[in-house]
Amino acid sequence: MLKSFQKFMLAAVATGLMTTAAMADGLISIIVTDPANPYWRTEGEVAKKTAEGLGYKANVAAHKGDTNTESTLIDTAITNKSAAIILDPANADGSVGAVKKAVAAGIPVILVNAEINQEGLAKAQLVSNNAQGAALGAETWISMVGEKGTYVELFGNPADNNAATRSNGYETVITQYPDMKKVGREVANWDRTQGYQKMQSLLQANPNINGVIAGNDEMALGAIAALKEAGKLDKVKVGGFDGSPDAVAAIKSGEMQYTVLQPVAVFSAEAVKQADSFIKTGKTGAATEKQLFDCLLITKDNVDKYTGPFTLSQ
Amino acid sequence: MNQAIAPKAETAKVDKAGGMSIGQLLLEGRAFFALILIIAVFSYLSPNYFTVANFLIMASHVAIYGILAIGMLLVILNGGIDLSVGSILALCGVVAGAMMQGVELSAFGVILYPPVWAVVVLTCLFGAFVGAINGILVAWFRVPAFVATLGVMYVARGIALLQTNGLTYNNLSGRPELGNTGFDWLGFNRLAGVPISVIVLTVIALLAGLMLARSAFGRWLYASGGNERAADLSGVPVKRVKITVYTLSGILSAIAGLVLSSQLTSAGPTAGSTYELTAIAAVVVGGAALTGGRGTVRGTMLGAFVIGFLSDGLVIIGVSSYWQTVFTGSVIVLAVLMNTIQYGSGARKG
Repeated sequence: MLKSFQKFMLAAVATGLMTTAAMADGLISIIVTDPANPYWRTEGEVAKKTAEGLGYKANVAAHKGDTNTESTLIDTAITNKSAAIILDPANADGSVGAVKKAVAAGIPVILVNAEINQEGLAKAQLVSNNAQGAALGAETWISMVGEKGTYVELFGNPADNNAATRSNGYETVITQYPDMKKVGREVANWDRTQGYQKMQSLLQANPNINGVIAGNDEMALGAIAALKEAGKLDKVKVGGFDGSPDAVAAIKSGEMQYTVLQPVAVFSAEAVKQADSFIKTGKTGAATEKQLFDCLLITKDNVDKYTGPFTLSQ
Repeated sequence: MNQAIAPKAETAKVDKAGGMSIGQLLLEGRAFFALILIIAVFSYLSPNYFTVANFLIMASHVAIYGILAIGMLLVILNGGIDLSVGSILALCGVVAGAMMQGVELSAFGVILYPPVWAVVVLTCLFGAFVGAINGILVAWFRVPAFVATLGVMYVARGIALLQTNGLTYNNLSGRPELGNTGFDWLGFNRLAGVPISVIVLTVIALLAGLMLARSAFGRWLYASGGNERAADLSGVPVKRVKITVYTLSGILSAIAGLVLSSQLTSAGPTAGSTYELTAIAAVVVGGAALTGGRGTVRGTMLGAFVIGFLSDGLVIIGVSSYWQTVFTGSVIVLAVLMNTIQYGSGARKG
């Protein structure tokens, strides 16, 4: 029994788990939503790399959209005496309690990608300028689909403010073209499988649509798969939002018309830098708490400038 | 550890006449020793693990699953299973949230803001009601427990989503001028430094343990789980016992839902997804037999703590969350394996 105990210990240490060896500047705990989605995976990886580059130890954990899991992960970050927490909140209202806990424990919290509906708690909230990105995307969509016809919309997770922001942005632009009518709208929670299933139902109800506009790339890719299966991909144009590598591949092959790149690589790194600045000087260095980062358009014309996940070289 | 157990189990059979051998002792107390092992390993791997503050925090994480697991134990002792506990948790949380936001009585043109104690009582009654539906389906309509509770799981989740349209109820702390403050007491406060949720769990565990060990109902429960036909013929009100255990499971899910919403001061319809699986895992790791008639509250609590401390420990040392699911699954399989070794080696003689 002793031998297997020793073997277990050696195996545990050997798999590269974090040990109690010298912590240079401290630990930065990064909590993202779900690394199965390339957007959140990049968010976590870029933040981790930036933190390690600045001399910190970094941990990436995922809450998968569940506020209880998020609360547990915040507890762990507090127990581990983190120097800072980089958090992508699960719910604009429901995550406020968890952020309050961290702030009460004296740990600075920097929010990325999504906001919470209370100012003054997090030291900074770095989000994409979803309104600008949505308007940009919708204008491009109209130019590609045309000003007349019918379309459907795939909506993201209602607990994420970004879903409503993007949808409202699309609405504002597309309603300026009264001959383009929305005939269906389904919630697909940012997920590719749900996008696929909802698209199939929408096609059953509306077999002759001209276009699909989605709140993110994963849902758009699901819609594309459904359209392929129904043999309608050449007649229906699809637009996404995020700028993920899979979407870029779809644009290259002509399956998707465009996507709007969220500068997640930029603001993820910036969040860690601002955390570092706060730890060392007590100030993040930014002018306001909420900071917006402009989005960029990716179409077939500039798709070759996409050099890395969520990175468009200028 | 497996290689060490097998030969000792043989010696256990030989030593049966002479009392407990080391092997039998290890087998009986396996959940306890597993817990000690987990604490030892993680304390070695991280200095932050073995502190009172951390233990209390981990205990408060375990509290939700523990309350659900006690309800699940009662149902499993009866030979059934309750897959709907996670959904009932969410639905009760949402119902409590709706009451905290104010109940509109359009006929009278007034909005009622029930005080927190009324919200708690009404939510528990609602949980009992849903649990009773489970019980009636299983006892009177003879729908297999798996199927009945599966159906209720979907229906309850759907109703929760419909009521909130996918969003969550927030700001459940109430307003003083309405007299409904205090909802966050359950989640945020501590009595003598111990989180209230842990105290609630302890009280429920003690009550459940007393009920199982000392009351007639407890004996009826073990009897109807062990051999329903024999219990029925011996005069045990089997149907009434069945409906009661599912109702109790519903009430405990409601309490867990209240504790969870209170901890987060928000009630969401997607809360508690897959919590029923963790509850079942806790019951199994604690040594209960899924066929019914065997199991104790003490074992279930140890099982819940083993799973909880293991998961939290893995997060503290920074292991990827995917490894956590591998570990949890392995622990469950190991536990069932040991259940088979303990009970399968002809322990039932005479």
